[in-house]
Amino acid sequence: MTAIPARSWRQLRLAPPLLPLLPALVWLPVLLMLPAVFHGGGWDLIGQFARAAFSPSLDPQVLGSALSGLGVTVGIALLGWALSLALGLLGGVLSSRTVWRTATGSALPAAWMRRLLAVPRAVHELLWGLLLLQLLGLQPVVAVLAITIPYAALVARVVSDLLDALPTKGLEALRLAGAPAGPALLTALGPALQPGVLSYGGYRLECSLRSATLLGVFGLGGLGTDLRLTLQSLQFHELWSGLWLLLLVMLALEALLRGLRRRWAMPARFGLTHRSVGRGGREVALGLLLLLPVLVVVAMALGVNPLQLGQLQPLPPWSADWPAVAALPWPSLIGSTLGLTLLAAALAVGSAPLLLLMMAPWPWGRVLMQAIWALGRLWPPPLTALLLLFVLQPGVLTAALALAFHNLGILGRLLLEAEESASVLAEEALGAAGTGPRLALLYGRFSVLARSYLAYGAYRADVILRETVVVGLVGAAGLGSLLLEALSSFAIDQLIALVAVYVVLTLVGEDLSDRLRRRLLAA
Amino acid sequence: MTPLNFRRRPRAGFRLALLAGLALALAPAALPPQLQRAAPLLAGAQARQKQLRISAIPDQNPEKLNRLYGLVASELSRQLKVPVKYVPVTNYTAAVSAFRTGDLDLVWFGGLTGVQARLQKPGARVIAQRDIDASFHSVFIANTSARLKPLRNVKGLAELKGKRFTFGSESSTSGRLMPQHYLNQAGVKLRDFAGGAPGFSGSHDATIALVQSGAYQAGAVNEQVWKSNLRSGKADRRRVAVIWRTPGYPDYHWIAQPNLDQRFGKGFTSKLQKAFVGLRRSNPQQARILELFGAQKFIPAPVSQYAAIEKVGRQIGKIR
Repeated sequence: MTAIPARSWRQLRLAPPLLPLLPALVWLPVLLMLPAVFHGGGWDLIGQFARAAFSPSLDPQVLGSALSGLGVTVGIALLGWALSLALGLLGGVLSSRTVWRTATGSALPAAWMRRLLAVPRAVHELLWGLLLLQLLGLQPVVAVLAITIPYAALVARVVSDLLDALPTKGLEALRLAGAPAGPALLTALGPALQPGVLSYGGYRLECSLRSATLLGVFGLGGLGTDLRLTLQSLQFHELWSGLWLLLLVMLALEALLRGLRRRWAMPARFGLTHRSVGRGGREVALGLLLLLPVLVVVAMALGVNPLQLGQLQPLPPWSADWPAVAALPWPSLIGSTLGLTLLAAALAVGSAPLLLLMMAPWPWGRVLMQAIWALGRLWPPPLTALLLLFVLQPGVLTAALALAFHNLGILGRLLLEAEESASVLAEEALGAAGTGPRLALLYGRFSVLARSYLAYGAYRADVILRETVVVGLVGAAGLGSLLLEALSSFAIDQLIALVAVYVVLTLVGEDLSDRLRRRLLAA
Repeated sequence: MTPLNFRRRPRAGFRLALLAGLALALAPAALPPQLQRAAPLLAGAQARQKQLRISAIPDQNPEKLNRLYGLVASELSRQLKVPVKYVPVTNYTAAVSAFRTGDLDLVWFGGLTGVQARLQKPGARVIAQRDIDASFHSVFIANTSARLKPLRNVKGLAELKGKRFTFGSESSTSGRLMPQHYLNQAGVKLRDFAGGAPGFSGSHDATIALVQSGAYQAGAVNEQVWKSNLRSGKADRRRVAVIWRTPGYPDYHWIAQPNLDQRFGKGFTSKLQKAFVGLRRSNPQQARILELFGAQKFIPAPVSQYAAIEKVGRQIGKIR
């Protein structure tokens, strides 16, 4: 019974370059459903929004507020990023199977560490922000911590994955030669780990900027605050003043990180290729040294005071009504949240390679596509959701499109970057043999990238699960909307239950994506 | 896996990028005075004792909020002889929490958020309300294509069953609490709306835009914001119309921390109240404040009137 389906499944297996295109099949039902939810009553508003892009408000007060907000956002992003990277490295080492096996002979503590770290990771930074606000008050340190906590756990997971994927022959040789566990680990794995960590670390800074903006959108200060208020009152000219500034910063940051990555000969983010660092090591050390005083200055300018952590406030008074919590419609809440997550993830993961292929013959098409992806990264999902609502009816589909657009921007850029750094030889050979540009790209380069891209897509699905919190606006009745409702009612018992559900979902999701990734990378 | 193949290594580009990055990293450090002014998070502990920090739930556009509360801050500062600073907050829940943790001294709350704030901060004082706040109204609006006729009484709200419906912000009294209360009276539960749940547009302006566009067929908004949208032409009568106006209920009011007298001197809280109640249309600066508040004057607010709001809040589960 079991052997036959297994064999037929194997016969059905797709060529690797086609794998990343598989999720794009979800567009078929989506395109069929779109006309049913289309109402098109708000084209005038979309038009106003688009026209406002060319005439942003240049009022000195608006610009001044946006500029200082931008300063706060960048500062929060930088501090949160640096802290999370330091803590994440430590956590990553502590949750690595290789490290524990070498040090104690058993990999069991690593598994437990990983599960433990799933808890801070399962809670979106926005939620951390609103929870910490209860404990610490309206302090700048809240936004920094809100980014640090989930990011550190995320970095820890990636670092431990990178560590465990490294070949252990050198380590075993050192151990057999009698080297103690610590020095052996450092010598054998340290240098090999460095490029992956540097590349991923740079990427985290981009994410941190997006998160700091989103935290502002939900009331924790910085440019996001301006974006939210201008958006909600439909002041599109003022909104664009903030968006243009943020776009400049985002593109400058991406250019900087790309420059550094090339300089230090880093592998692409989801390429699991191992490559020794050349002369970059000293520069990296110098860069880190320079970063420290910058961080201190930023912390002082923002008024971030670590001592405030000692002044915990009591929680607001609350009473638990657990039967009422248990009576919530959990299966439908979880079902719609998972549906939203899967739909958004499939749309985002599948569309990036599809668009890249479609645009392969037209250079200007690629430029246009990159510009649209940049907008996707730039606009916080609540903004995209509101824009979509001007022409689409609320519901899971609209929410999924908003989340997918944002994540498509992120995934698309990663794919482009990987594509640029992948070998062109096969593609050129195919091209020279007369293959069209699309097929040459597909079989020449995507075949190398396919598995690692999909593995990265699995990571991204985890992120999307947490991001479902921020699109409650479109009325998709899921865990996200209930969470915002519980927060505004100060219903601590519901909050505890919801966070627990998110943790369990994240654990299960990570386990599934771990298996999928291992299978993809092993094949 | 194949090793990476870098085709070029742009050195000039790298230097430029490095410069850009350094400038970026240093930008926050170079802006401290402006930061202190505009960033809501920066109400640090250092100035906590001497400064009166005022704030408001965000139910208007930011430019108007900044203009209005900048004026209020300077007027209060002139009358009370203490430094007053406006700290913007973008989220109703954050405003309540920041009041509880003592980061805000005087906040313009809505009916529900005010009750939440006083329950979380026993001893907090209700300072004043506008003349229009003792009997405030919400309006139910509908897209004309939804073919909803004006309703005769509250029972008519049952027509909204099966329609796409949106509230404003989750904690808004006029955009959520009281409309939901009247929906309950008409026997409409939240799960009766199309899609199994109402939307939460986040603001009154957004509700009007979304109902006008047709994304939602109906919604509930603050009557004051609805009227100003009609005046400014943002709301188009051909596409969106009022179908029902709620009975009056108490809404917005100023609430102050219980410890202001200890911090700013005896009798400070009553001076604060007098400052608001004493605002006059005859004084140009005060007239601008009243104009932006959409009020003729401020009046003392009896605490007892919010018992009804608290009761509704408890029924609906927004107060626990």
